[in-house]
Parts: sequence; structure tokens; C-alpha cells
Amino acid sequence: MRDHRDIIGGGALAAIGTGAAIHAMMSLRLGTIFQMGPGLFPAGVGILLAVLGLVLLVGGLVKQGAPIEFDLRSIVYICLSVGAFALLIRSFGLVPAITAVVAIASRADARLSPLGVAILSLVLSGMAVLIFQVGLKLSLSAFNWPW
Amino acid sequence: MLGDLSGNLMLGLSTALSIENLLYCALGVTLGTFVGVIPGIGALATMSMLFPITFYLDPTSAIIMLAGIWYGSSYGGSIASILLNLPGTPSSAVACLDGYPMARQGRAGIALFMTTMGSFFGASVGIILMVLFAQPLVALALSFGPSEYFSLMVLGLIAASVISDGSAVKAIAMILLGVLLGVIGLDIQTGQTRFTFGMINLMDGISLVALAMGLFGIAEVTSSLRQAPGAVLQRITLRSMIPTRDDVRRSWMPMVRGSSLGSFFGIMPGVGPTVASFIAYAVEKRVAKEPQRFGKGAIEGVVGPETANNATDQAAFIPTLVLGIPGSATMALILGVLIIHGITPGPSMITDRPDMFWGVVMSFWIGNLLLLVLNIPMIGIWVRLLTIPYHYLYPAIIVFICIGVYSVGSNVFDVFLVIVFGLLGYGARTLGFPVAPMLLGFVLGPLMEQQFRRTMLMSGGKLEVFMLRPMSAAFIVLAALLLTWSIWAAYRHRERTDPPAAESPSA
Repeated sequence: MRDHRDIIGGGALAAIGTGAAIHAMMSLRLGTIFQMGPGLFPAGVGILLAVLGLVLLVGGLVKQGAPIEFDLRSIVYICLSVGAFALLIRSFGLVPAITAVVAIASRADARLSPLGVAILSLVLSGMAVLIFQVGLKLSLSAFNWPW
Repeated sequence: MLGDLSGNLMLGLSTALSIENLLYCALGVTLGTFVGVIPGIGALATMSMLFPITFYLDPTSAIIMLAGIWYGSSYGGSIASILLNLPGTPSSAVACLDGYPMARQGRAGIALFMTTMGSFFGASVGIILMVLFAQPLVALALSFGPSEYFSLMVLGLIAASVISDGSAVKAIAMILLGVLLGVIGLDIQTGQTRFTFGMINLMDGISLVALAMGLFGIAEVTSSLRQAPGAVLQRITLRSMIPTRDDVRRSWMPMVRGSSLGSFFGIMPGVGPTVASFIAYAVEKRVAKEPQRFGKGAIEGVVGPETANNATDQAAFIPTLVLGIPGSATMALILGVLIIHGITPGPSMITDRPDMFWGVVMSFWIGNLLLLVLNIPMIGIWVRLLTIPYHYLYPAIIVFICIGVYSVGSNVFDVFLVIVFGLLGYGARTLGFPVAPMLLGFVLGPLMEQQFRRTMLMSGGKLEVFMLRPMSAAFIVLAALLLTWSIWAAYRHRERTDPPAAESPSA
């Protein structure tokens, strides 16, 4: 009997907690409880997190759990689309960045045709320019040319 | 005292009725209904998407708008529950149990009408409580020192993790993870950088917007991709919404019970509308003369929970605005708006900025009146909305997430952070770890550290001071009791349901 979800999650939390506590104790001044240094609070929280993570991990070893359903394709495409936005927005501007997001994100479920991508990008670009540039007067240009 | 109150109400009304605030209120509740109706995107994700816009608004308008999204989504959420058997928001999940059977019996219109009336009733009770309890609570809260604040926050966090659905240990662990993330950046007291690993972009700490959008926006979109619904709809005419005399007679008491339950849970920090609605359903079934009607279209089972979740929505503002302690991730965002505008949340806000506090409270009334109009005469529009395919919606949601995060500080680093937190949020979701407590810990963590360090300085490093001051001791004892109770309940639950536990509460 194993609950893999609790084992992975608990293990990850225990690792993060331990790492944070060690980092706080090694590189930050702890101080005393009266005059607390910057490291004391994170060290305490880290230790507590490590303990709870361990509790979950051990609990996961002895009980039955649900299977993990991880939709790799969707999360990868969606993260890629956000990354494309980050890379394009400064040098190329709003419209290319939006088009890239729509084109890549829509691959996640692949139900949008190329024409659909074009129309949706156009509509969203128009909305974004209207809301953010005209309405809120943010300094976001629709098109940029980096060189 | 009474003259005071009416003066405050008038002040609030004049603030709330300014053209600008009316506009933002209307915008908020309309958007709220919109995202409530559409399954797969919730109030929290929408509020974080609009969060950057609030930097450019007056803080009162900002809160009025965000709050509108929050309570508006509860109205919209039940529409999808009743018509599609698919909850538009988690707090409307219970409305499926009897709402969908009612729709199949051709009584969808009546179910929609009565939930709207119940929602309005519940919200009104919550607002009245806010008006009555704000002043006395402020007087109490002003006597709080740092030790009381620290203990109260501990109590709030413990309550939030114990009473929410799922494992309390997981929720507490996620809170601690959020607290750790909140540590990143400059330490205010010593000026030293913590956990920045040499990255200048992390000096000011992690952006709340990037965190919220990654955890909720990206993760929510990704997990609803697989369950996008195909809609089978019926036309809702105004005539079909008229309830029979019997419906009204049956709904009256559930509304009263639902609103008292809901307000009670709203005031308690940490109990969200979802829990309130499940408990309200259980209560209705318990007190019913013919419990066997439940699950087959009993109107009591729709009205009671829907009244309760709206009462909770409104009452949740009491601890947030009066004490400065948010009970949920949504309320943490509201608090974030205040902090970013340089307003210290808490009792002093009500005395220093009465126009703001009372303006926000009175805007709730106006917002709920607007929601009545949006949900009864204009119901047809929302029903039609349910037919928009999800594959058009979700790329649009991601575009707005990206622009929203980027626009905060024109910082590309924040957009990359969204990816990190999107992965974290989606990973946590697939592993069954709740992410909302993380946001709560992120916002409350720095406040807690500050109050703790102050207490230690004032007491000369004596930890027992938390037990020596009566109010502080009461909060700590209550937190300990809650914790013990949850451990005991989990132990009993395991004994009873071993082997494997049931996933959903089938009350």
C-alpha cells in the first residue's frame, strides 16, 4: 500500500524545508530570541516544514492513494506560451507576443484551427491595445522592432 | 452611537454612489458573474488577473471592483451548477445535487430564481452584520498588541487549514511553504537580503501578482482543459422563473438558516464559502421532514447552501477589513491591494479612512442589487455564455495573465516567475496539495514575523508572554483545541473508512 502523491509531495516539501533551514542557518545571522536576526524566523519555519513534509511522506508509505494524473502536454504548451510572451514582449511588442501565446497555447488541446488562431489573436490584440494602451495608458507598444 | 452609525452609512453611501465607484462596482459584479458562470476559471484567478489594474485606481474603487468579482462569482456559479451539473465555482458545487435534478424536471427557472433570491438574502444578512459589528470590533482590536496579533494570525491559519476540506497537515505545510516564499527579499528590520541567491530581481521579494497568477491562473486553466463541458441547454424565460406558492413556503426557513450559518462561518477566519455551503446542505437534509427528497430536486437543498455561501462571502470581509487578518486567499488579495497603496489594514483604517471602509460596505449593497438585475431579467445572456467553447477562452485567459503580470513593473522576470509558479501550482494540484493556503501564508508570513519579533523585543525574549496576556492566550488555546480536534477527527475517520477513504463528502 502506497500513496505516491503524498510520498512525492511530502518528500518535496521536506527537501525544501530542510534546504531553507540549512541556508538560513549557514548564511544568515540567527541572533537571539530577544534580538532576532534575519535568519531565525526562516530557519524555524523551514524546520517545521521539513517535519510536516516527513510526516506526509511516512504517512504516504502506509496508506493507499489515488493515481497521479499529470497532463504533461497541456502544462508544457501553456508554460511555453507564457515563455514566448516573456521573450517577445520587450523587443517585438504586444501584437506579436499575443499571437505567439495564442498559437502555442492553443496546441495544448489542438482544437483551434489556424484560421481560429488568426482570428482570436486579432481580436485579443485589439482588446489589449484598447484596454491597456488607450484605456489605462500603459507604455506597451503594439509593435516594436529590435534592430 | 446610533447617530454615528447613520452618519457613517451616509458617508459610505456618498462614496459608493460616486459615478466612478458605481462603474467599478458594476464592472466587478458583471465580471464576477461572467467568470462564475464559466467553469474552469474562478474568482481568485480573475481577481489576480485584474490585480495589476488596481495599481492605477483609487484604493476604494479597487477594492469595490475586486470584491464585486468575489461575491458576483457566487451568483454566477450556481447557474452552471443547475443547468450543466458542473459547478461554475467550488462554492456552488452543492447546488448541483438538487439544482440539476430540478432542471431536468423543467424547473430550472425556478431554481435559478430562488437561488438568486437566497443569495441576495444571505448577502444582505452578511452586510448588516458588518455594519453592526465593525465599530465594537474596532474598539476591541485597538487594544491588541503585537502578541495578540501574532496569536490571532496563528489561530486564523490553523482554522483555515483544519476546517478546509482535505488534510490539515497538507494545508499547514502549504502555508509554511508560502511563509518561506514571503521571506524572500530584503529583511525590513536589518536590511539584509534573504534567499535571493544573488538575483537583483528578487530583492523586493516575489511579486504577489506573479505568484497568484501562476498558482491559480495557469494551474486552473491547465487542469480544466480536460474537463471542458459540452453544453445541453434549455431556454429560460421570465415566466418559467416564477416559483409556486409551495416553493416559496419551502425556501423561507432554509434562507434564514443558511444566512445565519454562512455569516457565522464568514466571521471565523479561515472558513470559506465552500465549507459553509456543504454544512448548510447537511443541515437542511437533517432538519427536513422528508430527507429522501434530497438529491431528487428538493428546493431546500438548493436555496440553503446558496444563501449560506453568499452570507459567508460578505461576512469574510469583517476579519479582513476590521482586523487586517484575511481568512482566505481571496481576502489576502484584497489586503494586498491595501498594502500596495500604502494603507495599513486593520482597525486604524476604519478610523483614519472611514470614507473608504463605509464606502466599500455600502458598495456591497449596490453590487448585490445590481446582481439581482443581472441574474433575473438578464439571465438569458448568461445561459447563452455557457455555449462558448473553452478552446477559445483559455488562450485568451493566458494572454491576459501575461499582460497583467508584465504591466505591473514592465518586468520580464515576473513573467518567467509565472511559469515557475504555474508548474508549482499544477504539480501541487495533481498531487492533491491545496494551493490557496500558500497564498495565505505568503501574505500573512511577513506580518507574523514582524509581530513576533516585536513581541520578543518588548518582552525581553520571553516566549511565555503569548500565554500571559489573556486575549493572546485565548487565541492560542483555541488554535490548540482546533488542532487537537482535527487530529482526533482524522484518526476516527481513518478507523471508520479503512480501507480507502471516499473522495467527496456525500452529505
